[in-house]
Amino acid sequence: MFAYVIRRVLATIPVMALVALFVFSLLYLAPGDPAAVIAGDQATPQDVERIRASLGLDRPYLVRFGSWVWGILNGDMGVSIFTNLPVTTMIAQRIEPTLSLMILTLILAVTIAVPMGVVAAWKQGTLIDRAVMGFAVLGFSVPVFVVGYLLAYVFALELDWLPVQGYTALSKGFLPWLENLVLPAVALGGVYIALIARITRATMLEVLQQDYIRTARAKGAGQGSILFLHALKNAAVPIVTVIGIGIALLIGGAVVTESVFAIPGLGRLTVDAILRRDYPVIQGVVLLFSFVYVLVNLIIDLAYTLFDPRIRY
Amino acid sequence: MALLEVENLQTHFRTPDGVNRAVDGVSFHVNAGETVAIVGESGCGKSVTSMSILRLIPEPPGKIAGAIRFQGRDLLKLSDREMRDIRGNEISMIFQEPMTSLNPVLTVGRQIGETLRLHQGLSKQQAEEKAVEMLTLVGIPEPRRRVREYPHQLSGGMRQRVMIAIALACNPKLLIADEPTTALDVTIQAQILELMKDLKHRVGAAIVLITHDLGVVAEVAERVIVMYAGRKVEEAAVGPLFNDPKHPYTQGLLGSMPKLGSSLHGDEGRLAEIPGLVPSLKKKIDGCVFAGRCPKVTDLCRQVAPALEEKAPGHVAACHYAIKEGAIAA
Repeated sequence: MFAYVIRRVLATIPVMALVALFVFSLLYLAPGDPAAVIAGDQATPQDVERIRASLGLDRPYLVRFGSWVWGILNGDMGVSIFTNLPVTTMIAQRIEPTLSLMILTLILAVTIAVPMGVVAAWKQGTLIDRAVMGFAVLGFSVPVFVVGYLLAYVFALELDWLPVQGYTALSKGFLPWLENLVLPAVALGGVYIALIARITRATMLEVLQQDYIRTARAKGAGQGSILFLHALKNAAVPIVTVIGIGIALLIGGAVVTESVFAIPGLGRLTVDAILRRDYPVIQGVVLLFSFVYVLVNLIIDLAYTLFDPRIRY
Repeated sequence: MALLEVENLQTHFRTPDGVNRAVDGVSFHVNAGETVAIVGESGCGKSVTSMSILRLIPEPPGKIAGAIRFQGRDLLKLSDREMRDIRGNEISMIFQEPMTSLNPVLTVGRQIGETLRLHQGLSKQQAEEKAVEMLTLVGIPEPRRRVREYPHQLSGGMRQRVMIAIALACNPKLLIADEPTTALDVTIQAQILELMKDLKHRVGAAIVLITHDLGVVAEVAERVIVMYAGRKVEEAAVGPLFNDPKHPYTQGLLGSMPKLGSSLHGDEGRLAEIPGLVPSLKKKIDGCVFAGRCPKVTDLCRQVAPALEEKAPGHVAACHYAIKEGAIAA
């Protein structure tokens, strides 16, 4: 088991290297010149050339990639072209809201979606089942920004229960923090809930047909124990897999959600950086998101052993 | 009073193309400590009968009617809660498929302990202690290690022993064994049967044994019920049934058993068989259910269903032409 963990951690290194190469190349190939953006409309070609040289953009591709990777390995992601602040500092300033939003959404989605899927499978074909499935289709098909504005309109503007937008740091109190994040988390969680609920239902339907479920009934086990102990533990592996894959949805959705609710997080940082062609920032943020995704999937791979004793590494 | 009295049991399933009368008016009883076998081909309603007793038939699409009196209480009238108290406690069940009947993600000890914790309120530690005891009882070596193992670490025979341990953990008064040896290889079959006989004497439970293996019946049962197409067609003590089967279906079943040296017949030396298949249970059958396959069929059989009749003391059969003992003399 321990050897497996080490092997898996080592295996993430080439993955991350590939991701780094990809992220770097993508921006290298993208149209638009940051030097021109910084120089402004009135600049002469000589001005642009000077700025480009000062940013090191005139060096060959491989040299730039090498120095970028070397910097990252030393904890230096470069300096923002626009603000002149180190990228690591900018990320550090913006990470709390995004992390808060994602973790809250994750918790919310799992605690809602899994029981929803379980109950839908148990009551297969009934009104409850159809309601859950209908909701899932809705969750998939309505975009985050539509849900976001709708929620903000109803719960913040009309009912005035929650703030319309913004973010309050956790250090200023749990409740204000939560109040600001509830609507964004619900908006962002829609697709995620739909995805998890569907896979939970499908897997549970299959598991409930198994012989050992009949055995559990014959032993006199109650409905709750049959659903949540005997069946759900057997259904856990595909469900957990989807929860992991869905993190990608959250990362993508966070960018949009933060814009809708004016949350000063990494998503906003990314969007602003892209608009300004602030390459070091874009590269840093995308690399960080990739790293989080790889890490989450590593954790999930390891979590399989907790649910299914037949999986041994 | 008998331990279990099943009266006019009817288990029907609603299907898109009509009602499937899987069990259609079956009555029998089981005395305390007795072993009763229910035999018949696949699709005769044996398993459905056994599942109906514990109300393990999903309703809907299933529907159980009639009466199932266990120690005088009609199980069909109990609430779900009361029924759960009986399952695994006073009546328990062993299934055909030991490879898939145990939960793959829970330890053996937990699965045995579950019944004990449910019905006897034991603590986790007590339940595990008792689980070790049960594993010892069913003959699993190194029980202390095995309680912490998962089903995939055990062989098929061992898993069936674990199933038996689960079933007997709460000292049930009735054990329903649905083809407990079918999925096992022959040497293991013998061991499991031996174990069941041995434990039955120790625990004193009555057994309803569902099987299509007449060899198993001869070995362990005291009384036999023959089912065909959802009905009981014959019932007798094991001796009379094997020596003097009254119903043509029973005769056919016994005739199709391989015997040393004598059972092959015809030019190619084939084993005897009953021609045809069990009829579809979705249509109401007028006349005798076995008429379509019976070698002795007459017009009377096709029109009038024969009633179950006592052909000899304690020996009933549903056939117009089975000779009643003493009838000729009278």
